[in-house]
Amino acid sequence: MSAQSVNTTTAGRVRAMPADLQGDLSNRARVERAMQSFALEYGSLTAFRLESCIHCGICADACHYYIATEDPQYTPILKVEPFKQAYKRESGPYAVFFKLFGLKRRVSADELENWQHLLYDSCNMCGRCSLICPMGINISELIEQTRHAMFDAGLAPAELYAKAKHQQHSGQPEASKEPYRDMLLAIGRQYKVEIPMDKDQAEVMLCVPRTDIEHYPKSVAALARVMQHLGVSCTFRSDGLVAENYGYYAGGREWQRKISMRLINEALACHAKTLIVPECGHAYTALRWEAAELYGKPLPFRVRHVTEYLAGQLQTGRLKLRKAGNGAVTFHDPCQLVRKGGVMDAPRQLMQALGLDLHELENNKAFSFCCGGGGGVLDIQRAAPLRYRAMESKLREVDDSGAQTFLTSCSDCRATFDDAKAHFNWEQTPHSLLELVADNLG
Amino acid sequence: MELLEFARGPALKVALVVFCFGVLWRLVGTVLLRYHRHLSEPRDGYFKAFMLGLLVGGSRSWPHKQYIKRTGYGEALGYAYHIGLFIVILFFAPHVLFIKSLFGVSWPTLPSGIVTIIAVLTFTLLLAVLFRRLAHRVLRRLSNFDDYFSWFVTTLVIVTGLMATAHFGARYETLLAWHILSFDLLLIWYPFGKLMHAFYIFPSRIINGYFLARKGAPS
Amino acid sequence: MTTAIREQTVGEVLSANGVSRRTFIKFCVSTASFLALAPGMGQVIAKQLLKTKRPSVIYLSFQECTGCLESLTRSYTPSVENMIFNMISLDYDDTLMAAAGKQSEEARDAAIKENYGKYLVVVDGAVPLGNGGVYNTQGGKSAVQILRDTAKGAAAIVCVGTCSSYGGLPYANPNPTGAVPVSDIITDKPLINVPGCPPIPAVITSTLVQYVTLGVPALDAHHRPLAFYGNTIHDRCYRRPYFDVGKFAKTFDDEGARNGWCLYELGCKGPTTYNACATVKWNEGTSFPIESGHPCLGCSEPSFWDRNGSFYAPLAAGLIGSLAPAGEAAGVGAAVGIGAAALSRLRSRARTQSRAAEKTASKED
Repeated sequence: MSAQSVNTTTAGRVRAMPADLQGDLSNRARVERAMQSFALEYGSLTAFRLESCIHCGICADACHYYIATEDPQYTPILKVEPFKQAYKRESGPYAVFFKLFGLKRRVSADELENWQHLLYDSCNMCGRCSLICPMGINISELIEQTRHAMFDAGLAPAELYAKAKHQQHSGQPEASKEPYRDMLLAIGRQYKVEIPMDKDQAEVMLCVPRTDIEHYPKSVAALARVMQHLGVSCTFRSDGLVAENYGYYAGGREWQRKISMRLINEALACHAKTLIVPECGHAYTALRWEAAELYGKPLPFRVRHVTEYLAGQLQTGRLKLRKAGNGAVTFHDPCQLVRKGGVMDAPRQLMQALGLDLHELENNKAFSFCCGGGGGVLDIQRAAPLRYRAMESKLREVDDSGAQTFLTSCSDCRATFDDAKAHFNWEQTPHSLLELVADNLG
Repeated sequence: MELLEFARGPALKVALVVFCFGVLWRLVGTVLLRYHRHLSEPRDGYFKAFMLGLLVGGSRSWPHKQYIKRTGYGEALGYAYHIGLFIVILFFAPHVLFIKSLFGVSWPTLPSGIVTIIAVLTFTLLLAVLFRRLAHRVLRRLSNFDDYFSWFVTTLVIVTGLMATAHFGARYETLLAWHILSFDLLLIWYPFGKLMHAFYIFPSRIINGYFLARKGAPS
Repeated sequence: MTTAIREQTVGEVLSANGVSRRTFIKFCVSTASFLALAPGMGQVIAKQLLKTKRPSVIYLSFQECTGCLESLTRSYTPSVENMIFNMISLDYDDTLMAAAGKQSEEARDAAIKENYGKYLVVVDGAVPLGNGGVYNTQGGKSAVQILRDTAKGAAAIVCVGTCSSYGGLPYANPNPTGAVPVSDIITDKPLINVPGCPPIPAVITSTLVQYVTLGVPALDAHHRPLAFYGNTIHDRCYRRPYFDVGKFAKTFDDEGARNGWCLYELGCKGPTTYNACATVKWNEGTSFPIESGHPCLGCSEPSFWDRNGSFYAPLAAGLIGSLAPAGEAAGVGAAVGIGAAALSRLRSRARTQSRAAEKTASKED
């Protein structure tokens, strides 16, 4: 590795893990790319976050990776150390001192490589740490910014990079047997529901997680069925079907923009007033909260999560639901929807309308632990053992809730739990809230 | 010129100058960096988000109960020594006279004996804080020179203050000079290290609170 | 004074003057307790005094107000201090002696000659060095010259009062006469400072007694006898409990002042002033400044006129005059902050642009 590997700053002391590298860049070029990326992020708000840390270590106590392993390298704020280091040296008000006296070393390529494990494998960008920080530092925002630099330096995990690359040029994260459009129509036929496709004019534009197309077709059908029931003019667009955004996961700003632009352009093309984000957490963050910045101006349409949209319909009385069974249910709050997205009450309003006996998890709503799959971690093969360790407490919480039915509202969470079910022979099965709604339309 | 006069006069003057210079430099240098606009539609409007953000400035002082089981000890320790420091700094008669001499404002004070007891407790707590920083795997991992030096200058002021009160170790005017010199040192170090958190804490919380609130997310 | 008397021991002189043994022992024991010596030391002092030859003392007055001498002479009742004059042979003191002019100078020269190497020099007042010392001359000789000549054959020097000890008022800013303390001129003799403006009479006499009987006493860093200058006024102040519970007089006519509360906030320098005022007190133990309602000025400390800002500024107060420099520094800091932010923005933009250029280049490839 590079000559800069002799590094005695705090940043240097992290267990080296094998890192994925993209491109044939020299170490120097990688560091320069990262620095260029950081330069884009330096701003007043970020500066306040980076200046404020008092090293109290409390964020570790919010992170399920630290809680599960008690390994200090998983302290959330430590995961953004390269960013902090670069900021203090390059951009902060005292950059001149830090540089002149070498108080903060130049970020090295080795350091960035070592940090890949911390920034990707062991961070779900769930934002739990950002709620605990007594200084009010939004650490998950910093992680996202640091991931941007990692991506630009060609240091994203191979799986995320490949999927983001595939998605930005083809519209879907990986090749499929048939085009998703055809698979969607087939699902419609299978579940005997009309899939509105490529209408020129629609009130609402729909999209789906590719996880649902591949693994949970019933969920796709449920979305179409509910919309059909509401009688709202809506459509899928074959050039903007996939809700996920691997650009967001991998940290590729430009690719994230390109991927979001597909959906934005399609929504504009069909003059949609609302873009409904299906049961997918990070798609909500990407479209609801980040797309406008990438678009460069406020979006000319609203972005709503499907539960949010349905809860609204419930309130206006257009949506009526039957009581659904009588067993106890519990609900996993997807981080991107609840803690980071603000969609907290909508799923509960739906569950109430369904007459469900909700047994909240020990850590619920804003304080829910991530399923472990968020932030693209589910796709990173080598992260699986650590992920299983981190999610054990979550599974225990579900068991302890005493519920017979386990609901969530994010297909990535669902896929993560299904994976854990197989791995641990876990008894619970994650179900989609949307499917339950579709099954009980009044 | 005697040491005490030096501490109260030129050293204090230099310290105040460095303090004001450094604090403004750092704060302005942070505030005036680029501002990235946020274009997404706020959930409940900007005003509500801003008001909620302001609220977080205070509410984050009290940890969410879901976290307390894990963080209670550390937070209690942090709270305790901060309160101790505030009482000693703000309610010891000579300190109030010092503040009065600089700014012309004063307020009632506490009996010296009580302040002394609190100062001793605060010193003990600061030792516990250092011990925790050295013993706790996360804190040890995160800590750098700034953390230890900031602890040192804070504790030094407390220790010299107690020594002056107890007339322990040297003649009173020498001890008082050390005490004031150590405070001068603290003022000089202040803008450069983590002690600046006193200036950053509320803007930082409010910023985070605002951005969470504009998403309607819990804060 | 005749040579015969000078040759007598202290004991002989005392009995000749009708001082009873009982009175003498009482004096010695009380002196021992003043000096914070062990009780038995009273007897030692008595024994020593009785057989000690009365030493010759030359009392020099320079830039002074005679307050110190007033202090010493005013309080000789009940003749304790009077006895001191019987214990020493005061051979020269131009204020007290009957002789004047040439005769007095001759008396001094004679004393120096007769007791060369054994006599004690007591100095009262600062010594001006400005313009060749013209600001204080006696018989055509400058003060500094007299001091040098007299000190040459002295066994030790006792500086009575703040002026001779630290320069005092003449030395205070702007010091027009170039006054200095004795210690700046005489550096090769044992030196005892008995500062105060004026010093407590009993402190002067007791110091002399101790010197006569036991030699140079234990001194602090300012050459003050630790027996009298070992504690601060604050430590021994009867108003100290008010300080400890935080009861302070805020003005000279408020309730606190009337109730005799602590004068710290009115600028009392008791905490940094080492003297025996709070214990020995003045005028036969009647009172001392704080007891009469005025804060201690710190007169037994060096530069007490100039230091501490003002007699009425609390000790805790900063001595920085005005906050304006700090305000200006804040302004300059803000300006530098603006500069730092601008520079950072420029650098970020440069980096961002080089990134964009790199991207375009790679696309062109």
